Amino acid sequence: MLRLVVRRARAQWPLLASMLTILVIGATLLGTCTLLITRTSERAVEVSAARADPDTVTATAYIGAVSAENARSVATDAREVLTTSIAPFTTTTTTRASSVLRVLPGVGRGGYLSAIEDLPSRAALIEGRWPRGHETAVLQSTARLLGLRVGSRVHLGAELGIGSNPPVDLTVVAIVRPLQDTGWDRDPLDGTGFDPDPLESTGARSIKAYGPFLVDLGTLLDGGSALSRLEVTARPDLSAPTKRGLDQLTASLLEANRRLTGTLGDRVEIQRVDSPLPRTLLDARNQGQLTSGAVLALAVIGLLLTAIALALTGRLTTGVRTTETGLLDALGTSRRQFIATAAVEAGAVALIAAVLAIPASSFLYAALTHLSPLSGAGLAAGATVTTTQVLLVVAGATTLALLHIGLGARPTGDGGADRHRNRELLARSGLDLLLVGLAAVGWWQLRAQPSAAGYRADTVRILAPALILVAGSALLLRVVPPLLRAAERLALRGRGFTLSLAASGAARRPQALAAGLLICLGCAAATFGTAFGATWQTSQHEQADLSVGTDLALTLTSAPATGQSAQVAAATGGILSPVASQNVVVGQWLGDATSSPRLVAVDTRHSGAVLRGHLDHGRDWGGVTRPLVPSAQVAGVPLPQDSTPRLTGTATGDRPIAVTPQLILQDDAGLRTACTGDTVVLDGRPHDLPGCARVPGLRVIGVALGVLGETEIQHTSGIDVALTLPAAGDRTPWTIRAATPELDQVGGEKVEVSGATIRMTAAVSFADSTPSSRVLVATAFADPGPLPVVVSSRFARDVGAARGSELKIAVDQTPVPVTIAAVVPNIPSAPGEAAMLADVDSLTRALAVRGNVNSPVTAWWVGEPAHPGQASALHLGSVTTRDAVVERLTGSPLRASFPAVLRVLVVAAVVLLLGGVLLHITYDVQLRAVEVARLRGMGVSRRGIRAALLGEHAVVILPLLAAGAVIGALATRLVAPLLIRSDTGAAAVPAAEAHWPWLAETGLLALLVGACALAAGAAVVVQARRADAAHLRVAS
Amino acid sequence: MSALLTVRGIDRTFGAGPSAVHALREVTFDVEPGTMVALVGRSGSGKTTLLNVIGGLDRPDAGTVVVDGDEITGLDEDGLSRLRREKVSYVFQTFGLIPVLSAAENVGVPLRLAKADPREREQRVRLLLELVGLADHAQQLPGELSGGQQQRVAIARALAASPRLLIADEPTGQLDAETGLAVMGLLRGVVESEGVTAVVATHDPVMMALADRVIRIADGQVTC
Repeated sequence: MLRLVVRRARAQWPLLASMLTILVIGATLLGTCTLLITRTSERAVEVSAARADPDTVTATAYIGAVSAENARSVATDAREVLTTSIAPFTTTTTTRASSVLRVLPGVGRGGYLSAIEDLPSRAALIEGRWPRGHETAVLQSTARLLGLRVGSRVHLGAELGIGSNPPVDLTVVAIVRPLQDTGWDRDPLDGTGFDPDPLESTGARSIKAYGPFLVDLGTLLDGGSALSRLEVTARPDLSAPTKRGLDQLTASLLEANRRLTGTLGDRVEIQRVDSPLPRTLLDARNQGQLTSGAVLALAVIGLLLTAIALALTGRLTTGVRTTETGLLDALGTSRRQFIATAAVEAGAVALIAAVLAIPASSFLYAALTHLSPLSGAGLAAGATVTTTQVLLVVAGATTLALLHIGLGARPTGDGGADRHRNRELLARSGLDLLLVGLAAVGWWQLRAQPSAAGYRADTVRILAPALILVAGSALLLRVVPPLLRAAERLALRGRGFTLSLAASGAARRPQALAAGLLICLGCAAATFGTAFGATWQTSQHEQADLSVGTDLALTLTSAPATGQSAQVAAATGGILSPVASQNVVVGQWLGDATSSPRLVAVDTRHSGAVLRGHLDHGRDWGGVTRPLVPSAQVAGVPLPQDSTPRLTGTATGDRPIAVTPQLILQDDAGLRTACTGDTVVLDGRPHDLPGCARVPGLRVIGVALGVLGETEIQHTSGIDVALTLPAAGDRTPWTIRAATPELDQVGGEKVEVSGATIRMTAAVSFADSTPSSRVLVATAFADPGPLPVVVSSRFARDVGAARGSELKIAVDQTPVPVTIAAVVPNIPSAPGEAAMLADVDSLTRALAVRGNVNSPVTAWWVGEPAHPGQASALHLGSVTTRDAVVERLTGSPLRASFPAVLRVLVVAAVVLLLGGVLLHITYDVQLRAVEVARLRGMGVSRRGIRAALLGEHAVVILPLLAAGAVIGALATRLVAPLLIRSDTGAAAVPAAEAHWPWLAETGLLALLVGACALAAGAAVVVQARRADAAHLRVAS
Repeated sequence: MSALLTVRGIDRTFGAGPSAVHALREVTFDVEPGTMVALVGRSGSGKTTLLNVIGGLDRPDAGTVVVDGDEITGLDEDGLSRLRREKVSYVFQTFGLIPVLSAAENVGVPLRLAKADPREREQRVRLLLELVGLADHAQQLPGELSGGQQQRVAIARALAASPRLLIADEPTGQLDAETGLAVMGLLRGVVESEGVTAVVATHDPVMMALADRVIRIADGQVTC
């Protein structure tokens, strides 16, 4: 039997070589996917950790209340705990500490010492040099408030509270300015230099805090000061991490808190270790798991294609061996012997395939990782062989080869052929139905999957695409034969030979359709893969568009400064919009308990250029936000740079009345800020309001006066306040109103603008003890009324509102009426949230007339920035660009495997499809050699034979390719959007929509048609050339 | 009467050098129109090669073949195809039916090649199937017919285009004696009824008896 196998293999080597090739392709695909799921997945976590934002991989020990004598040892021990927890990674640590408040000269004043190890990277030196020993650096604001200069001496007296450490005398050697975004939020006073009511004031005494007095760390730790807070931050060097090292680090950091507590004991009152690193690594692993699931789903499609290609090979092999098998059967060969022969052959082929596929998959893997996007993600790797890969390749090759045994062992006896055919038909119908049923269940499960975050790669997500493609192909294959028969009937009506023979051949030869499933499924997989890739890419772009909301977002770490718009515009060079983004209160909020509705306000005049995010029904942001654009711009009164407004006022009655003036300023870009002046007594004398006109191009567009007076006794006072500006404005009338008219504390308010003077009068009641009830607001614009907003569909659904609905929201405790102008799926920068979009100009007007003159602006959005890289150099806050988010979503190490495998799937599908076509045609050449020669004998010219055979192949292959493309398109439409998840594993927002890349798909189909035509053409030419007398002689 | 088929000095050698096989050597004979000639010889004697040369499926190394006045050895591929469509028909030992076409469709193939009118084609097919006694099996596929029935379909197909010369290569070789006899009778009948000239390669003595003339061939040479 072994001799038979060997000799048969020699004689039928092309067929066996085809089988081997297909097996190698399948096993290589399996091996490559295994490496991507294992090696690349691990490496991705490592690279991801190496590339992580430094702030997400630090570990910080927070320690509170340390006595002076323990300060040094606690700092040392805390550092030791962190560095040993992070070992074997090398670590750099930075320590910052602040002392408890000490008494400063003067009444009710306190100051504290601080030490920051890397101070020069966190503060800009304005004057002097960095301190050493008993020297100090002070913030510019602290210096101004305390009248300190370089060379001044500072005496920090006794510690407030129960401390009894000696006073500290320091010499000021530097005036510094804190750099934004460099951790000053960890300073007791947030780096402001002054707090009239600090949280950390000790005891019941009211005290104003000044500081920090920045000293050298050694000076602070050894200088006899108790520490109110001590922070040691360790930053591991993750430039070359290993999976084992990261696992060890995660476990060690989770233990660090306990170790720190044990080490520090009762030397401190508060201690904890906090690190985002374990969470960062866990998120990375979860994302990798999600990607692995997607890769697995694609691998299943590839393996299925391989199995079908092998089944085709098996069927053709069986066809070629029919006579031989029949003879052996007649000679009494048992079924067991047939199986044994097939097993020997399959085992040999599987072994050779595995031996070839292991290095092939290693090299393909290495090649893939050197191509984009894997190489761009830093995942380039050399050829490697792993145990898992070897085991899976061998198992895969063996399993696939078992198919061959099954086919080889099938009985071939003539007896009961009809019965056998009927049984097979019944089995196929049952299988088709089962496939369709499973595909339907898979699709339903995909549709029903929760939209919340989830990383588990469940079986449904892995199998559903393959099931739907196979079920679709099997169903459409049922439709093809009737269509072919209809075409044949038409062709037979004619008088010609070529067309009728081609049509009959196509419609009546069952072996032509044997390759049908492979051709149809191969084309479906290739078109699906191409369209899925495009859909995935489009969805990632749309997710990035919506999550950022614009091209470049600069989220401010502090309130915007007057004139900042010019600075941002000059740096970025794009179309600029101030943006207010904050949570708001909406009546009785009915939505999710964990999230409040969000308000996003932008300059809607530039919506089209600034806002990004997919809109439905072909709408664009310019059109949607048109109803939000204020009808007229606000002019106001010019305030030249460095000029000083002057306020004069009188009040009736014998009680002292004062006002706190706030000028609402607007810069060239429309940014509105408030300049708050000192409280002014209305005594008839002029009072300057300095420091408001720091930049050119400002205009005063409003004035808010908080009226102060005694409230214990009810009385009413008439006030008359005049604000004189250096220049006159236009003749636009001003309006005035009480910020809270419903409290009825202000009446008879009037405003007059005469030249450069704005005069405000009103009768103010002091019955209400709340100061905010007596705020008078004069503005260069009228009350805008209900604020028009565009809301997200989730907001509309949760609130039960629709277009035209009127609601009342609270922005920073200020009630603002709103009216819904439109409902859109999502609001830029608030994907999936209950959110509303407003015009920032209208919003600030609505807030201002209600007395809230603080700028609500929290960010700058820039459309089409010319220099996106320069925004971060402004140090105003965090910068996010749409391109960077797209890059993170599509090319991050944790996700790059997916598009790479998609490409492999498309290539594998094309190769297997073409292999199937080639097999089918080659088999046809062999099978019909004599028949074609007889056609020659009947007088059919070679040209006629070529035309008939080509026509027959075209009639079979083209509809199958078309059917495959239809299945691919349907699968893309039905499945692809459901398979796409966000980087957190939640449903993508906006929901992914199927995208059919016409150009790529047309190119792919043209390639398939061209390659099939080439294969068929070559085979037919050979077939026609070989149709000569030799074949007739052999046959006869 | 001038000969319908004239064969003069045909040589055909396969291969070259010491292993060359001289399939035909100086073969010369004439066949009168309307006669049935039995070509007799042992296996490997050169019968099939001679029939292929006569039918224009193979080219001789030397010599000429004239069919109905056409010197076929000088024809190009298209000329030979036309000759086979219009003047020469084959009946193969293994029947040579196209398996996916029904009996009627197989018979209609030569008429389709001649681009005959569909109605005329159908009439002719029906007539021929009646002639060979298979009118009731018109829609059956070759696989559903017996060997004898298949060969009768092959004969009907060979007659469809009203050829002048019918070449049959051992037409009863795959049939049992009784069926072979019926097929031979049919061939004899159509030669007489259709006025066709037939050259039939055979081993069968009955066939030889039915033939108007017997040409013996041995080692590629006509012996009588």
